[in-house]
Amino acid sequence: MSAFWSGWVKFLVVLNLGITFFLFIWALRVRIPTEPDGTTGHVWAHGVIREGVRNLPLWWILFSAAMFAVGFVYLTLFPGFGNFKGTLGWTSAAELEQDIARNEAKLEETIRPLRGLSIAEMSEHPNATALGYRLFQDNCAACHGTRATGNHALGAPDLTDDDWLYGGSGETILASILDGRQGTMPAWGQVLGHNGVNEVTAYVLSLSGYSVPEDWEQAGKAHYEKICVACHGVDGRGNTAVGAPNLTDRTWLYGGDFASVATSVRDGRHGIMPAWRARLSEDEARLIAAWVYAQNAERRRDEIS
Amino acid sequence: MALRYKHFEAIEKNAALLGVLIAIMVSLGGLAEITPLFVKASTAEAPPGYDPYDPLRLAGKDIYVREGCYLCHSQMVRALRFETQRYGAHSVASESAYDRPFQWGSKRTGPDLARVGGKYSDEWHRLHLISPRTVVPESNMPNYPWLAERGIDAAVVQQRMRTLRRLGDPYTDEDIASVSEALADKTELDAIVAYLQGLGTLNKPQAPDAPSTP
Repeated sequence: MSAFWSGWVKFLVVLNLGITFFLFIWALRVRIPTEPDGTTGHVWAHGVIREGVRNLPLWWILFSAAMFAVGFVYLTLFPGFGNFKGTLGWTSAAELEQDIARNEAKLEETIRPLRGLSIAEMSEHPNATALGYRLFQDNCAACHGTRATGNHALGAPDLTDDDWLYGGSGETILASILDGRQGTMPAWGQVLGHNGVNEVTAYVLSLSGYSVPEDWEQAGKAHYEKICVACHGVDGRGNTAVGAPNLTDRTWLYGGDFASVATSVRDGRHGIMPAWRARLSEDEARLIAAWVYAQNAERRRDEIS
Repeated sequence: MALRYKHFEAIEKNAALLGVLIAIMVSLGGLAEITPLFVKASTAEAPPGYDPYDPLRLAGKDIYVREGCYLCHSQMVRALRFETQRYGAHSVASESAYDRPFQWGSKRTGPDLARVGGKYSDEWHRLHLISPRTVVPESNMPNYPWLAERGIDAAVVQQRMRTLRRLGDPYTDEDIASVSEALADKTELDAIVAYLQGLGTLNKPQAPDAPSTP
């Protein structure tokens, strides 16, 4: 703020407080001349209503004095009087930093014992999964759903089944969260043509045990062994190194009906898991990974049995 | 009768004089708090290396305003811990240097969007704008299916850029000439997704300790 505008603000503050303070003091001391009938002579409605004279009530005087005191103290302690910073040196940014530091100190007690643990060990810790659940709802649920069951429209994987595109170890889940994933299924419509797409789709569905026309299945197998094996493997079990889905387990990223699978073959898919390193601290990402790890239905069933 | 208090009567019985005197007293606060910011709006100047919106994002911003997104979404992360924890670094005034009008908003039916850029994929935004419940079943946001069907008039965007240049935004002649190419085959959906993906990322937030008030 330039010196001129600082002076401008100070002048107006002094003027305003000065006028009101003068009125406050003057109103307590002024002698009010009265008429013989004890009124001020100030009348309304042709004398029907006349102004009497009373002292200002004590509560009003005390409240007003307190308000002036609060105003002066405030302008001394806090910014407000031109470019004067206030004797406390208060800023909203500094207050925020203190609040964050206090909160982190509080969280630190809960998180410190978890730091040395693997994600799998953390997933058995109720504190870790409770915190991870909150963070998941706020950051991950928009795509994976509030119950982490995924979304076929988006190709967001179900995180509660035992089917992992990039592997299901805790550390792999953590890597997916921190650095994101870029799924790349190329479009094969141009190469395969309309019939080829249908044949490959039929073969892919047959890998999961669906009954399909045998001639389509045989033709599709030939295409598959030329094109698809590179990523999805000879047996169709996929490859976690490149994030190629397992095609034999009846788990579908974009839906398992014929049309959806055919769309994947024809137009390709580009599922994107954003990288969260810039938004989440490593501690936060680990808490989320632990909660996700604990959701795995197969694993939980094993534990129960 | 009533001689000593003629000066009070003059005020009480003359509505125009009463109004003028009230206006003077009431305006003192505004003169102190608003006028300095009006005359010297230094806090809203773009910092160095801070580029104005490219044509697609500019078109997206206008669609954002047209559809009234600001009625439910704010674009201002306040300097409060529970806000910075959820949304990221708090907003500073200079981030809105190229927003005319700024989109701070005062109502959050949906979440704040000041830091939404990069949080979701483009495809998520497309599905979500056309039909929010496709990706967020709990959402009460309306559908905006027409965005995908409408193209963008490059001439209008060029006019807007010329106007913004007159207001001081550093658009060059090449920037304005590039509009037709940049917007070819683009829908309103592409534009608003580009705008949303730029929020808080390309318009990089300043250091949190930078002065945000004069």
